[in-house]
Amino acid sequence: MLAEKTNTAQLIIDKISATAGKVDFIDNDKLSKALMYLENKGIPSNKHEDYKYCNTDAVFKKEFKNIEQKLNTISDVKNYKLKDALTIVVVNGNYSESLSDKIILKGLHLTSFSSLDKEQKQKIGTLANVETDAFIALNTAFSGAGFYLKIADNEQLQIPIHILYVSSAGSEALVNPRNVIEIGKNAEATIIEEQICIGTEKVFTNFLSEKFVAENGKLKSYTFQNEGKNGFSVNTNQVSIERYAKYDNTTITLSGSLVRNNHNVVLAAQNCEAHLNGLFTTKDNQLVDNHTLMDHQMPNCESNELYKGIINDKSTGVFNGKIFVRKDAQKTNAYQSSKNILLSDDATINTKPQLEIYADDVKCSHGTSTGKIDEVAVFYLNARGIGRESANKLLLNAFAQEVIDKIEVDELKEKILTLFENEL
Amino acid sequence: MANEILEEHINKDYEFGFTTNIDSDTFAPGLNEAVVTALSKKKNEPEWLLEFRLKAFRHWLTLPEPNNWAHLNYPKINYQDISYYSAPKKKPELKSLDEVDPELLKTFEKLGISLEEQKRLSGVQSNIAVDAVFDSVSVKTTFRETLSEKGIIFCSFSEAVLEFPDLIKKYMGTVVPYTDNYFAALNSAVFSDGSFCYIPKGVRCPMELSTYFRINATGTGQFERTLIVADEGSYVSYLEGCTAPQRDENQLHAAIVEIIAHKDAEVKYSTVQNWYPGDKNGKGGIFNFVTKRGICLEDNSKISWTQVETGSAITWKYPSVILKGNNSVGEFYSVALTNNMQEADTGTKMIHIGKNTRSTIISKGISAGFSNNSYRGLVQIRKGATNSRNFSQCDSLLMGDKCGAHTFPYIEIKDKTAVVEHEATTSKIGEDQLFYCKQRGIDNEKAIGLIVNGYCKEVLNKLPMEFAVEAQKLLAVSLEGSVG
Repeated sequence: MLAEKTNTAQLIIDKISATAGKVDFIDNDKLSKALMYLENKGIPSNKHEDYKYCNTDAVFKKEFKNIEQKLNTISDVKNYKLKDALTIVVVNGNYSESLSDKIILKGLHLTSFSSLDKEQKQKIGTLANVETDAFIALNTAFSGAGFYLKIADNEQLQIPIHILYVSSAGSEALVNPRNVIEIGKNAEATIIEEQICIGTEKVFTNFLSEKFVAENGKLKSYTFQNEGKNGFSVNTNQVSIERYAKYDNTTITLSGSLVRNNHNVVLAAQNCEAHLNGLFTTKDNQLVDNHTLMDHQMPNCESNELYKGIINDKSTGVFNGKIFVRKDAQKTNAYQSSKNILLSDDATINTKPQLEIYADDVKCSHGTSTGKIDEVAVFYLNARGIGRESANKLLLNAFAQEVIDKIEVDELKEKILTLFENEL
Repeated sequence: MANEILEEHINKDYEFGFTTNIDSDTFAPGLNEAVVTALSKKKNEPEWLLEFRLKAFRHWLTLPEPNNWAHLNYPKINYQDISYYSAPKKKPELKSLDEVDPELLKTFEKLGISLEEQKRLSGVQSNIAVDAVFDSVSVKTTFRETLSEKGIIFCSFSEAVLEFPDLIKKYMGTVVPYTDNYFAALNSAVFSDGSFCYIPKGVRCPMELSTYFRINATGTGQFERTLIVADEGSYVSYLEGCTAPQRDENQLHAAIVEIIAHKDAEVKYSTVQNWYPGDKNGKGGIFNFVTKRGICLEDNSKISWTQVETGSAITWKYPSVILKGNNSVGEFYSVALTNNMQEADTGTKMIHIGKNTRSTIISKGISAGFSNNSYRGLVQIRKGATNSRNFSQCDSLLMGDKCGAHTFPYIEIKDKTAVVEHEATTSKIGEDQLFYCKQRGIDNEKAIGLIVNGYCKEVLNKLPMEFAVEAQKLLAVSLEGSVG
């Protein structure tokens, strides 16, 4: 079994080593540890508890037998730009200065990984420990030339930053986008991360982002995933927030053959709060797996999670959320909710909402429910002259609205609403 | 204040920690095919059963020891250090209670199961029929004759093997095959005794059936097996209780319980588990690794598990129901209390296969001291299990800041008509609740008792009368002044 696992990882390493760029922004110690971990542990299969419902090993074996890394160049991303936002473009894992907007905003510093100073280099990999997860290790070993984004202390950015991750390949490929985002003390920013896949061939995106929110900082982040049939991705967000800080994320997944989101938030100081929201719709043979961890390390913090899924055809939805309250984290308030609707007889939903609690003065709860479209509600609408199909649409829309409403960037919200309605 | 009270409770001793000095016939420690064969010989077992044991043993050898997937921490068990058979030196065939070793009877009296009493009351009023299992063998089954008039078979497993081999052959291992897991394989190889119960068609068992398990000898493990078969339209309520003496060593208890419910049958299985939990430093105590599973084989059947778990150093137990028949019902009600260094990883599995199947899970965990208490459960709705319904509720109560309470529910749904709900909360006893009671002249300790009892009520209500009283007392003893 072990030999078999190693093979997948080894195969990937062999195939992408030749074309991979030099990773000189991460120190050698971490790089060798990453390779070691990868070779020893392999790509996780469903025997791995964290990947029980998301057999990535099988996906690589089935869909990425012939990784050739023929990556396309992109010359234009006009169609994907938002009107009132600053756009940063990452093509196949590498930051593209020519496609990105010129940064002339006060307090916003963007440095590509190739020109980092010593302090910034040290920050890379502090939240994403290469020895905890195979995909963190894989990304570390073959990291794309990403960027370091810093919002200076006391700066409140008025316009959102739109980071567009475009992948496009002429053969099966694996790309490893990576970034570091740092919100300074008392700083505020809104960041939209959008993932698209536009080539003719399948691309596996192994995304990794480390996000730091300093004291009293506020980060509103939106993740929008719409990669289509050729998109396979594992997306890891490692977030750490400090005293009085606030972190908000809303993840909308509309398409992608495989989407696995690892969203790990460390509430590292007192009085901070984190909110994670998610909405996904799946069809055909898709698999969307949302994996979250709220790591309450200190007292008086608050966390909230709301994930909703609409699962159709032969697709599978997964929600695995863990609230982890450490010994000292008294007065923790943590809530988690997962609601799902199954639309087809062949659809599957697996949920695993976990609580792991070592402090007694806490209020923690979770709830999850799964059902079909409420027949009584459909009848109510039928009785008022609304046909079955429209009634279903209306009800699903209402179901999704709770999450979509969390988006405060109007342009993005409208875009997602339109696409969501088309999906139905 | 809280600490003082906690302290007081931590110093509380285990009240069933006595040993009984009776001659026993015990195997030397060790496990190999010769031991399995000798065990089988000792019990005059037929060839097919020996073969079953050996198959299980060979399979067990191929299995890796479970790695720590459960939220438990315990030292490696040396399976060669355990004696796999210990029996009170018995005279062949006991005809009446007078022939039972008086020391044994005293033990049961101490435990509050007076076999004498039962005997005396027989015929006067309906009571509980008891099968008492002492170390590895069943010592006496009461009321056997009364039950057999109705066609009910209730006897020790060894007797059943000899007297009703067809029934045993037909049902044993059908719900928990020896390949199921590490401890099930071990039990299948070395099980010593246990209870067998068969309720014939259309019979409603007139009394509660009960098994009491007691580990007495040192250096032994207990491996019993219970098999309950409820034929068409029958009903039985079954109780199980367990205690063990106080010892510095860890003793292993690995049991299997299988329940089969035919068409329209109903089985209610209640457990009050109070094995020795170890002392306050975590020394000694029973390692309790139990595989319990029932199958609602045919339509409209029902299996209900109720458990009150207060003992054992380590509890690893997931009473499950396979809902195969249409319209079948599975229930799981549990109160698990851990204190000091105890660790429990317990829960249930509800596997929905038939149409219109329903299951309910109510789990209440209470952790105090340095203990860890986990709920681990699976609700699986298979494809084709249309209109299935599950409701799960797992609440945890934490007492003190050094313990842990965890919830690991797995929910897998493959049918769109299923409605599944799960909710869990973790909290401590509210200051306002305590204040409310105190304001009305109820002191701290009583108030805590009141609140905890209320917290567990949903589950305790499901226990048969005789057991409910015992369970309430047990909770009170285990909890005395432990909340802060």
